[in-house]
Amino acid sequence: MVEHDDAQLLAALGRAFDAIDPPPEQVLEQARNAFVWQSIDAELAELVYDSETSGDMAVRGSDTREMTFRAPGIEVEVMVVSEHHRSLIGQVVPAQEAAVELLHGGGAVTSRTDALGRFAFDRVAAGAVKLVVVTVTGTRVQTEGLVI
Amino acid sequence: MAYASVGELLSAATDGDRQAWNELVDRYGRLVWAVIRSFGLDHATAADVNQTVWLRLVEHCADIRDPQRLPGWLATTTRREAIRVVRGQRRQQPSEVVLDVPDRSAPAVDELLLDEEVSREVYAAFGHLPAACQQLLRLLTAEPRLDYATIGQVIGRPVGSIGPTRARCIAQLRRLLDTAHNTGTRSHG
Repeated sequence: MVEHDDAQLLAALGRAFDAIDPPPEQVLEQARNAFVWQSIDAELAELVYDSETSGDMAVRGSDTREMTFRAPGIEVEVMVVSEHHRSLIGQVVPAQEAAVELLHGGGAVTSRTDALGRFAFDRVAAGAVKLVVVTVTGTRVQTEGLVI
Repeated sequence: MAYASVGELLSAATDGDRQAWNELVDRYGRLVWAVIRSFGLDHATAADVNQTVWLRLVEHCADIRDPQRLPGWLATTTRREAIRVVRGQRRQQPSEVVLDVPDRSAPAVDELLLDEEVSREVYAAFGHLPAACQQLLRLLTAEPRLDYATIGQVIGRPVGSIGPTRARCIAQLRRLLDTAHNTGTRSHG
């Protein structure tokens, strides 16, 4: 043992990780499946606010996560509420009527916003989700994917 | 496909080539997992972080102009997501989650079928290192290799500190191995 140099020790440790703690096949399969949303033709709205990382005391300890996604000229505010079941409530800003699609592992659910741009999806299953907003002018915006 | 460059794989994936995407997962899946596990996340949380990281790559495939940057991009994206979930968990269970908690869900060494006695002993000794050393060594053994600049970003330390800390952690690992040998045990103590 004493004769091994640093690089050899690290190599031995690396082989140990490969044997003991490789990525589970299910985890790799989820990574492969992430590709299903590759072909979405919509502008990406990036996560610009997340209550989980903001240090915002108001939501600390609650089961609600608030996020804001932004693309040029449009924002999508999303609240994930996990109480008896998981709901996804949001608003398109500026307020406008639009179609909102919730993409999830099993497919998609479509809804429409009200005049104030608000929308809601009830009983959303855990897993990867993404919202696609289609405005009246046909602009398509997708939020970054989330795992809820 | 097996010999395509990373740049070719990224651009093929951007064009919708699922094979190319799978090849990227094959090449970098272990790296992302190693970075996640270096944060001491349990399996369920680690799986969620992993999924998010790959969703990010799908969204940003076309933006990664320099393929050399892919390992660094994956590592820092993984870091951001890992830290986010750790903070989220802390809010819900403030006393239960510690960022750099050692990996408790790994199997006991006795259950392993490592073909090499050396790996077995090194892994047993690794379990006795301080959490910061465990994280650094996990990152240093990740494949494909991460450069020191990226590792510094992942652990939030200056790049110049990585080399000296690496030397210190390996020296500590070596002492643990020597102790295990001198006491004639497999360092379970």
